[in-house]
Amino acid sequence: MSNWGQTRTAAGGGQRQGAGRRPVRRPLLPYLLVLPILLYEGILLVYPIARGVIGSFQSIELATNVAPEWVGLKNYQRMLGDPEFWKVMQTTLLFTGLVILVAISAGLLTALLFNRSFRLRPVARGVLMMPWAMPEVPVVMIFIWILNPQFGVINLFARMIPGVDQNPQWLLDPVLALLWMVLIASWKAFPFYSLVILAALQAIPEEIFEAARVDGANWLQLFRHITLPGIGTTLELLVVLACIFSFKQFTLIYLMTGGGPSGATETIVIRIYNTAFRFYDYSYATALGVAGFVVSLVIAFFFVILQARRAQENF
Amino acid sequence: MAMTKAQTGVRSGRTPLRRRLRRIVLYGTIFAVCLTTFFPIYWMVVSTLQPNEYTLHFPPPLFPQEVTFGQFAELFAAHPVAVWIRNSWVIALLTMLVCMVLSIMGAYALSSLRWPGRDLFGLFLLVTQMLPEMLVLIPIYGIYRNFSLLNNLSSLALVDAAFILPICIWILKGVFDTVPHEILDAALVDGCNELSVVWRIVLPLTVPGLVAVAVVAFFFAWNEYLYASILLGKAELMPASVGLSTLKAIGRTPIEQYMAAGLIFSILPILFYLLMQRYIVAGLTAGAVKG
Repeated sequence: MSNWGQTRTAAGGGQRQGAGRRPVRRPLLPYLLVLPILLYEGILLVYPIARGVIGSFQSIELATNVAPEWVGLKNYQRMLGDPEFWKVMQTTLLFTGLVILVAISAGLLTALLFNRSFRLRPVARGVLMMPWAMPEVPVVMIFIWILNPQFGVINLFARMIPGVDQNPQWLLDPVLALLWMVLIASWKAFPFYSLVILAALQAIPEEIFEAARVDGANWLQLFRHITLPGIGTTLELLVVLACIFSFKQFTLIYLMTGGGPSGATETIVIRIYNTAFRFYDYSYATALGVAGFVVSLVIAFFFVILQARRAQENF
Repeated sequence: MAMTKAQTGVRSGRTPLRRRLRRIVLYGTIFAVCLTTFFPIYWMVVSTLQPNEYTLHFPPPLFPQEVTFGQFAELFAAHPVAVWIRNSWVIALLTMLVCMVLSIMGAYALSSLRWPGRDLFGLFLLVTQMLPEMLVLIPIYGIYRNFSLLNNLSSLALVDAAFILPICIWILKGVFDTVPHEILDAALVDGCNELSVVWRIVLPLTVPGLVAVAVVAFFFAWNEYLYASILLGKAELMPASVGLSTLKAIGRTPIEQYMAAGLIFSILPILFYLLMQRYIVAGLTAGAVKG
């Protein structure tokens, strides 16, 4: 019973209390409505995932149409014994962690700045939102050009730093390449986090601030004792969301570096792609995919838990 | 109210000068943040409009020295951009159509009806929405290969729709929740059936939400690169996202054409996302945030 209550609130997320919920006169109707969706997602998502899990215990040759052969845990043994797999996991963790840090900090900073009215705020907000609205492929094109070692405009600014008198090879240096991937992914993602945090900030009643100011609290105390607790659950939720989004990130990294230089930006998603579509090693790629699936299920689990907690706090 | 105002005025004995300084710092920071954020997009526009003798020069001038428009015609002449964009339209429209139909059904069931299993269905949508696309790609590729569905714009649209549908349902559910249930109940009492309640009352009242779903579905497919690059192998089927990625800066495509291509591809999504941002954000956080 208590378990049910939890999922209930989780799924009923942003529902106003009892909004438009009525018992149906024809009890079959909701199932008729939902059945096509379940079939659709079942065929195109659930079934392929099941096939993938089965495939990870087989040896598959897609190119020759030879029937797949059962190999048991061989793919997984190879994966766990592969030092490159662990390196990829490390890179994934580093990339994801840094993007969460950078993107959410930037989102928080801009949300705090924009949480007051000033002239031109709508314009400034529109400008701030643009990276989020840009498709990934043009984002890649922009940054390939900006980071070009010969003519890229970034070098103009880099040269202003004392000691830099040559254009750095931005994407050929392992550390710089990873940092750029983090920065670009964060640049694209932070406006979204900023919007969400701003919505949470605006939900904090102004009277609380007034009262605290009257009591002589300074801005740091206001931030620590009112603002932060007020947006705490939202921040937690965003950390998990950011984790999911950056874990998924493929297009930006693949088109900028392909995972290089020498694997410095190769996250698990890139690795799966390269294994399957560059080296045509489908069975091993499938096993890597299952590993990724497990990781994302764990993250999804946290997301659902946080959603449930948030929903309970709201009502 | 007057009371608090008087108190805040007195509270720390701040001089007008200090307050003005604070404002300057604040506006300065806002300006700097906007400038940094906007710069890459600004640079795309500048590199598009400026003849490349200025751009291909180091250090490049930060403001356009001269503006030309010939690069757009040259781009369309040098690459099959028109075909790419047409393919993108086909895929995106089909994805949008599938998502609209299915998400109206799903959102109505989630928002307005009460039935055992409703929460489980919501949970199912939450989890599917979070799976990395990559994990399904290899099995889908195998399945599509077996059923000869590769190299087909419609079958790509079907997968795109499967990935974006959960988010569309969540967006629309949030919108349907805002329709007062008294209206629906009254209509039902007056003898409307559920179908005409949806068609005549819910949908007309939620047009902005429907537009938001259409925008999200359309541009998900418009922007999608991974599946398009794997499931479509033929050059004449390439959508713009894949086509653009085949252009190589500096080497073979002149930079002003390269950036023009990126600009053309981005204009629609930027326009519509900014218009619909409120609904889209609410849907992406699955109703967790109100605002």
